[in-house]
Amino acid sequence: MKVEGRSMKLTRRDLLVWSAGAAAGLMVTPVPWKLLDDTSIWSQNWPWIPQPSRGPVEVQQSSCTLCPNGCGIRVRMAAGWPVGIAGLNSHPTSRGALCPLGFGAHQLNWHPQRLRTVQHYSSTSSWGDARTAFVKACSEGPVVIIDGYPGRASSSVFETFLQGRGSYRVVQSSEARALAPYEAWSGVPASGLGYDLENAQTIVSFGAPLLDGWASPGRFTRLWAERAAGMSEPQLRLVQVESSLSRTAARAWQWVPVQPGTETALAAGVARVLLEERLVSARGPMPPLTLTGAAAQTGLTTDSIRDLARTIAARTPAVAIAADDNPAIAALNIVLGAAGARGGIVKRSKLSTSYVSAAAPIPAARAVLIDSTVPWDFVPQTDAEVFRFAAWDGGAGKADWLLPAPGFLEELTDVPTAPTSAIETYAVAPGVVKASSEVQSPAQFLASIDSTLTTTEKIVHDRCAQLFRGRTGILQSQERTPLAQVASVQKLEEQLWKGAVWVGEALRPESLRCELKEWPAATPSSPPGSWSSMWPAPVLPPLATKLYQESTLRQPPERRKA
Amino acid sequence: MSARYGMVIDLDRCTGCGSCMIACASENNVPPLPQATARTGLTPMLVRRVSNGAQGTKRREAFIPIMCMHCEHDTPCVKVCPQQAVEVDKATGIVMQMPQRCLGCRYCMTACPYHARYYNWWDPAWPAGMEKSLNPGVASRMRGVVEKCNMCHARLHSAKEKAAAAGKREIDPADYVPACVEACPTGAIRFGNLADPNDPAARESRSPGVFRLLARIGTEPKVYYKSKEEWVRALAESTSGPSSKASLTIASEVKHG
Repeated sequence: MKVEGRSMKLTRRDLLVWSAGAAAGLMVTPVPWKLLDDTSIWSQNWPWIPQPSRGPVEVQQSSCTLCPNGCGIRVRMAAGWPVGIAGLNSHPTSRGALCPLGFGAHQLNWHPQRLRTVQHYSSTSSWGDARTAFVKACSEGPVVIIDGYPGRASSSVFETFLQGRGSYRVVQSSEARALAPYEAWSGVPASGLGYDLENAQTIVSFGAPLLDGWASPGRFTRLWAERAAGMSEPQLRLVQVESSLSRTAARAWQWVPVQPGTETALAAGVARVLLEERLVSARGPMPPLTLTGAAAQTGLTTDSIRDLARTIAARTPAVAIAADDNPAIAALNIVLGAAGARGGIVKRSKLSTSYVSAAAPIPAARAVLIDSTVPWDFVPQTDAEVFRFAAWDGGAGKADWLLPAPGFLEELTDVPTAPTSAIETYAVAPGVVKASSEVQSPAQFLASIDSTLTTTEKIVHDRCAQLFRGRTGILQSQERTPLAQVASVQKLEEQLWKGAVWVGEALRPESLRCELKEWPAATPSSPPGSWSSMWPAPVLPPLATKLYQESTLRQPPERRKA
Repeated sequence: MSARYGMVIDLDRCTGCGSCMIACASENNVPPLPQATARTGLTPMLVRRVSNGAQGTKRREAFIPIMCMHCEHDTPCVKVCPQQAVEVDKATGIVMQMPQRCLGCRYCMTACPYHARYYNWWDPAWPAGMEKSLNPGVASRMRGVVEKCNMCHARLHSAKEKAAAAGKREIDPADYVPACVEACPTGAIRFGNLADPNDPAARESRSPGVFRLLARIGTEPKVYYKSKEEWVRALAESTSGPSSKASLTIASEVKHG
């Protein structure tokens, strides 16, 4: 067909013109871009994408209960659930700092390895069966209860339960064990001793990870940041003796690389120089190891050991800190005059208890009950029936019974003084998260067997009343209030429940006297630890993947592979 | 008045504890990724461990937190984004990433000289029930988008809301502190308005020993670093390939510590 001389036949030219017009039209029309944008938004709002809880947001102050050091925390709550954790600046020891695990602790209660049912030899059982088995065991022989954080209200419940039934044991942290030698030399239980780091001018760490979560992470880290970090002539000299360039060694004022396991020999060598050159006024036993012998063992030269001794003596008060129980390093402190002196080892409490270590052989017992605060890598050497409380599953093969315990901030607990603190403190960590009905604390479990036991709530109340009657120390929150000015026990409890911390009065350092007649026999040095290896739970907060897998910052701890 | 929010990080104070990384992930609802590696992870704040390359007693190590540098000039990611999903907020100087617009082409990741952007390879997933622990101020992002540090913008919103409720136009600087700054136990990260000459962070950014990463490429980062160690400062200009294609590759990064 022809129309006014033109054909309607579609030519190649027409197709090209039409295509070019369409392309030009697409460029100016908003439709495809709008569709693309909508598709993008739509595809990012799938119904299975997790949605945060909505509700009133509030901040509660408390104490971290992951380890015995009880750092102060601010818990941000939304709709009744914890959604974030930050450090509490007003806390007297942690001073606003937390370890990395603390920042992700609020997610631990939902960890896939959360223990939610009673397990008996890897089979699901019930609380009733566990109770029956434990009661039967109690009637047949002595019971041992092993605690990870002594001094709490729960610990008091354990000790009361054990009267006439068995013995109480404690698994101590490596920091607490490092204070053990002074117990024998002074008669003061190690639980009543601490380091007066705030007044020290030189700190010699023999492998202790002082900048990697040692004791209360905030205490030394803040001190180092204020008095040493980035300074050419720091007010606080940190000397790190360690075989490898650890995080602490990398930031120390001086790193002394020694052969692995020769810290004891170096302590003896330094003590010998201090005594021979009369660099210290204190007196102590001369170590049997010669300077040449110390040099041969440590891989250092005799001159460098002499230089180290002179460095330590040049800025006093000086104190040596061991990574674990090491009598030679404790003896070095005696030579330095650091035991019972300002800036050294001090007695922080008039009253303290000597605990039996859980590492000691357990006598014939019918049952062993392990509290949830005991690290999973501690397995008692016993033939007794083991009842193990835990919030997270660390391996069914480590106990006959696995009993689900409250998780992070799911129960009321009190927080006594941190193991290495120089001053006494007392805080309360209320249960801000509702625990499920599936879990029971060991204290609740024991109370269901012995109805005469006092509840932890009552013990905490009694302890508050006892503090109030003492009228000493201060109550530290945003302000510092002398306890004598607190109107009533109720007011004191109210403040403690809101995150305030009671801080005791410092004792005079001279109240600690150590006697050491001869240099202690050499003991093998323990490998240095870090916060991940010292942490009690078998699992880390889920966000720890950022440190261990999604970066090259840290190597995954061995226990995670178990 | 427009602000220029930025940071000064004192590397001599950084102990490499990683608190900033965890606090950042928690604040911004970054999911834990058990299946991820160092190549595929999602770490808007990443602490790298670096050394001077020496061995034995001469060896020295330091830790460098790396996040979005919030480049002021010729911001590379903004220039290459075909979706306008990245922009520099003129009121704050913060380089904003808008996941709703992002198509996941990853041009910005290629363009970023600091390797501070991360592709979200997986649907955000938390173990059952853990979604209750998410920060209600931050929406979780879908897979297929690029993520990075936005200087905890949700906290800036909160500070603005608080100021508005009090009838003020300007926020109280104490109300706007990013999570990493708040978490640092040694106070190594100082945050503030660099446009305010009286701001402590602005003063710190002019102090001796302060440097910026890859300063020679002229992107004017708003994240400053500080160290008295010369070998640490030398890492700032570490490159891979020709200088015309400069990118931050810390050759001396230590794998695992």
